[in-house]
Amino acid sequence: MASNRRWMTLFIVLLVISVAWGCQGERKSIEGRCDYDGVKIEPIYAVYFNLRDGTEKKFCSIVCASMSFSKLKKEVEEVMVVDEASEKRVSAPQAFYVESDVITVPHVKNRIHAFGHGEDAMKHLEKFNGRRVENPFY
Amino acid sequence: MILNALSIAMIFIGALSVFLAIWGGISSLILYRKWKRPSRPEEKTSLEDRSYLVFLIMVIVLLIRLINWPLFYVTLQSFISDIEGAMCIFGVTQAKPGLTRLLEFVKPIIFFLIGGWLILHRLDRSTKTSPLMRRKLLLLSIIGLFVLVDAFGDILLMVGIAPESLVSCCTTVTDISSRATRTTPVAFFGPEYARPLQVLFFITHLALIGFVGVSLKFKIFRRPILGVLFLFSLLNAMLFLLSQIEVFAPAMMHLPFHHCVYCLWQYVPDSIAMYLFFILGTFSVGWGFTTDLFGKIGEASDSLPDYLRKIYWFAFLFLSAALMMLIVHLLVD
Repeated sequence: MASNRRWMTLFIVLLVISVAWGCQGERKSIEGRCDYDGVKIEPIYAVYFNLRDGTEKKFCSIVCASMSFSKLKKEVEEVMVVDEASEKRVSAPQAFYVESDVITVPHVKNRIHAFGHGEDAMKHLEKFNGRRVENPFY
Repeated sequence: MILNALSIAMIFIGALSVFLAIWGGISSLILYRKWKRPSRPEEKTSLEDRSYLVFLIMVIVLLIRLINWPLFYVTLQSFISDIEGAMCIFGVTQAKPGLTRLLEFVKPIIFFLIGGWLILHRLDRSTKTSPLMRRKLLLLSIIGLFVLVDAFGDILLMVGIAPESLVSCCTTVTDISSRATRTTPVAFFGPEYARPLQVLFFITHLALIGFVGVSLKFKIFRRPILGVLFLFSLLNAMLFLLSQIEVFAPAMMHLPFHHCVYCLWQYVPDSIAMYLFFILGTFSVGWGFTTDLFGKIGEASDSLPDYLRKIYWFAFLFLSAALMMLIVHLLVD
C-alpha cells in the first residue's frame, strides 16, 4: 500500500506539471486564429471587432463573425471587414456585400464577400452569379 | 478512397480482424458446445489444446481491436487535409455520416466488452481448474460478432470516403442554438444552464470517486452495490460529455461559443489524455461489475476480491487523474 501511495504521488506531480506546461504551449498555438472556431485566418476574408474595452477580436469569415456578433453585440464598438479587391480594412457599414457561388471559407461554406467599392462588388456579382446583401453587422 | 499509411493499416487490420473474428467466433461457439459434454481424457486434452489455440490468437486480435479505437480517430484526423471544408474530425465524419456514427457508437462498446473479457481471461488463468472456460468461450463468440461488424465497417468507411468531398464542418452544426446538447440542459436549468451543469458534473464525479474509494477502503464488493456504481458511472459519463461540449471544451479552447469536442482534441492535445483517463476510469467501474457477474464461480471466487480491489483501484486512479487534469486546465486557463 505504501508503494502504491508513492506511485500515486509521483503520478499526480507529473500530471500537474505536464498539464500546466501543456496549457502554456496551447495558449500560444491558439493565438492568431479565428476567435470563434480557432481556424487559421486567411487575411483577405478576415473580420475584426474592435471592442469597447480596447481589445480586438478576429474571425476567419463573415459567417463566424456574424455568429459571434449576435452574442457580443453590446461589447462591439466597431466592425471592420477586409475589402477583397484591395485587401485593406473597411468599416463594415461602409462596405458592399455580395452573396455569390464562390465559397471563401469552405468549412463554414461562406459565400458572402465584402468590397470597399461598389464597382468591385458589381464586377464580382456579374462574374459569379451573385446578389447584393445587407450589412450582416447591424 | 484516401490512401495513406493509416488508412492502409486500418484496412489491413480490418481484413485480418474479419477473417479471425469469423474463425474465432465459430471455433469458440463449437468449443463451448463441446465443453459441456462429458468426454474421455484424451478428448478433453484435445479440447483444451484447441481452446488455448483459439484464446492465443483471439487475445492478439482483441488487443489489436483495443488499439483500433484510438487509431480510428487518428486516421480520421489524417483525412482532414483531403476533405474540402473539414477543419477537424467532425468534418471528416460528415463524408459518410451514417456509417461513421455507427462505428463511433460500436467502438466504445467493443472496447468495454474486450476489456471485460480480458480481465475474466486473466482471472481464469490464475486458477488451476479453469472454471470460467465455458463462459469465456460463449462471451468470445459474442464479442467475435461485434468485432466482425466493427472491422467490416472500418473497411467500408476507409474505402468509401472519397477525397475532395465537400462537407460542412462543426461550426455550422455544433454551435446552432437548437443543438440537443444545449436544449437538454436548458429544459432542466433554464437559459443560464452553464454554471448548474458544471456544478452537477463536479458533484457526480466527486461522488463517484468517493463511492469507489469507500468500496475500496471497506472492501465492499457486493454485486448490487457494484451494479449501482456501474449505473452511476454511466450517468456520470453522460454528464461528462454534456458538460464537456457545453462548458469545459469552449473554456479550454478559449473559444467561448464553439462547442466541438473534436476541435478540443486538436487545439488542446493533452485533453486526449484526460478523455483516456476518464474512459478507463468509467470502464473500470463497469469491468468491476462484469468481473463479479461472470467470474464468481468455483476456484475463481477465491481470487475475485483481489482482482476487484485492483480494478477499483484503477478506477479510482483514472477518475481522479481525469478530474485533476480538468481542474488544472480550468485554473491555469
